Amino acid sequence: MATFLEYVPGNSFLHSMNPSVKLIAAMVFAITCFVTSNLAFLAVLLVIALALAFSCGLTKETAGLCKAVFAFSLILAVVLILTTPQGYELVPLPWGYIGTGSLLAALTVVIRLMAAAIPLFLVFYVTKTNDLTNSAVKQLHVPYRYAFTFTSTVHFIPVFMNDMAGIMEAQTARGVQFDGSLIKKIRLMIPLCVPLLVTSVRKTNSAAIAAEVRGFNLRTRQSGYKEYPVRGSDIAVLVAVFGLLAAAIVLNVLL
Amino acid sequence: MIRFTDFSFRYREGAAPVVRNINLTIPAGCFVGITGAAGSGKSTLTYAINGIIPHCYPGDFYGSVEVDGLDTLDSSLTDISARVGSVCQDIDSQMVSTVVEDEILYGLENFAVPKDEIPGRVQESLVAMGIEDLRDRTIDSLSGGQKQKVAVASVLALHPDVLVLDEPTAELDPVSSVAVFELLARYANEHGTTVVVVEQKIALLSDYADLLVIVDKGEIRYADSPAEVLSHSEELLALGVNCPRSTTLMNALRGAGIYDGPAVCNVPQAVEGLKEVLSC
Repeated sequence: MATFLEYVPGNSFLHSMNPSVKLIAAMVFAITCFVTSNLAFLAVLLVIALALAFSCGLTKETAGLCKAVFAFSLILAVVLILTTPQGYELVPLPWGYIGTGSLLAALTVVIRLMAAAIPLFLVFYVTKTNDLTNSAVKQLHVPYRYAFTFTSTVHFIPVFMNDMAGIMEAQTARGVQFDGSLIKKIRLMIPLCVPLLVTSVRKTNSAAIAAEVRGFNLRTRQSGYKEYPVRGSDIAVLVAVFGLLAAAIVLNVLL
Repeated sequence: MIRFTDFSFRYREGAAPVVRNINLTIPAGCFVGITGAAGSGKSTLTYAINGIIPHCYPGDFYGSVEVDGLDTLDSSLTDISARVGSVCQDIDSQMVSTVVEDEILYGLENFAVPKDEIPGRVQESLVAMGIEDLRDRTIDSLSGGQKQKVAVASVLALHPDVLVLDEPTAELDPVSSVAVFELLARYANEHGTTVVVVEQKIALLSDYADLLVIVDKGEIRYADSPAEVLSHSEELLALGVNCPRSTTLMNALRGAGIYDGPAVCNVPQAVEGLKEVLSC
């Protein structure tokens, strides 16, 4: 299994797509997920997202992501269940009730977040960060320093995760037990954020210096070496995602 | 040529200067090794050469540092970087790309190297470091030693006049360390590049350096040929620099009046010296 958000080499269709098109398509797909509230349509979007993950051999990574998003969305789902008294009453509450509508609303949130997250995460698994930066600079006219900052931030996430794992290992070696309830784990991890923050600031500073001494400030839009042509298949993908967005809007109006 | 003239530097947050009264001239094409105890100011010297001091780490800068006639205090970091290639101590932080080829391309793109030159430069630097087979590998999948080589290759591709490396073999085993120094020395020799290496492994430095600099408490104690510097093995030990055992042995023999040749830097030289002793 690949490291979180680290590029995984491959020859799939997603790998070969134009990086900017990939990013735009993933964002439009995510917007579509938030535009529609139709559960069936969201389920279709989730199936499409899972199929995309399967097509580029990132099933395990996607399963891991779904698990994490599910855990996060579960919190929102519980809040929704308790605060959205809709549909047939199932459980009475002092301030309302839990109804079938509450459960559907919760399910919608869970599916929406998973469907929206998968393509966005896939972009980073199937695209080299340099390609993403260069393509955004060349084709979307994003200033280089902003594009570089964005991709560097993503690039550093697994680095910092490794650092945190290292700090936790060191603490475990000193007898700290991270097993047990989630609350206990969080309580033990909070003090570790300080050394992680110090390490992160130091690494970020080193990275900035390393980039500067390799001519970061000289970079222009034209100086990128690789070209990123937009092919017919990229256009087809854009048409498809905008078609999904249009369908979501139409469904909202009709239903 | 690199010239330090009465150079002293105190980091903004530091109480006292980290390096003091540095006067040193490094001729063009020279392979320089800098060593000393931890915290002696070795890295600060390299930061002064590549312009990180004072451009990234502000503080009180006294005297001057010139690199090929360029005063590092008055010149921009970008101008200095066009001449000085740097490999930092923290290799993971230096990596900005996900695959090896892109890492080498990074500097070339920034410096707007003509596009028709780029493929040749990438290939040349990969060959120079012996890592052609790593070209399409992800950085994440490399060992510490391989990352070191990629970091050096990414700088070599820029054809710097001066190459500054801060502990380039920190994560390498002894065999790989020798291989990196061998590659660096060959590249520097072929291209006339000035190489400045901060390194704890004094045996390695003495095998490859033309000039060996020993730094102690921010001051240069010795700056001479490795044989000359290593002839002071007892003094070096007091400064926290542990000489190779072969050097210490031959210096002890010289102290006892048994051997009167120059200081040796490695085992083969010690063997020759011992043969000389035994033949008398």
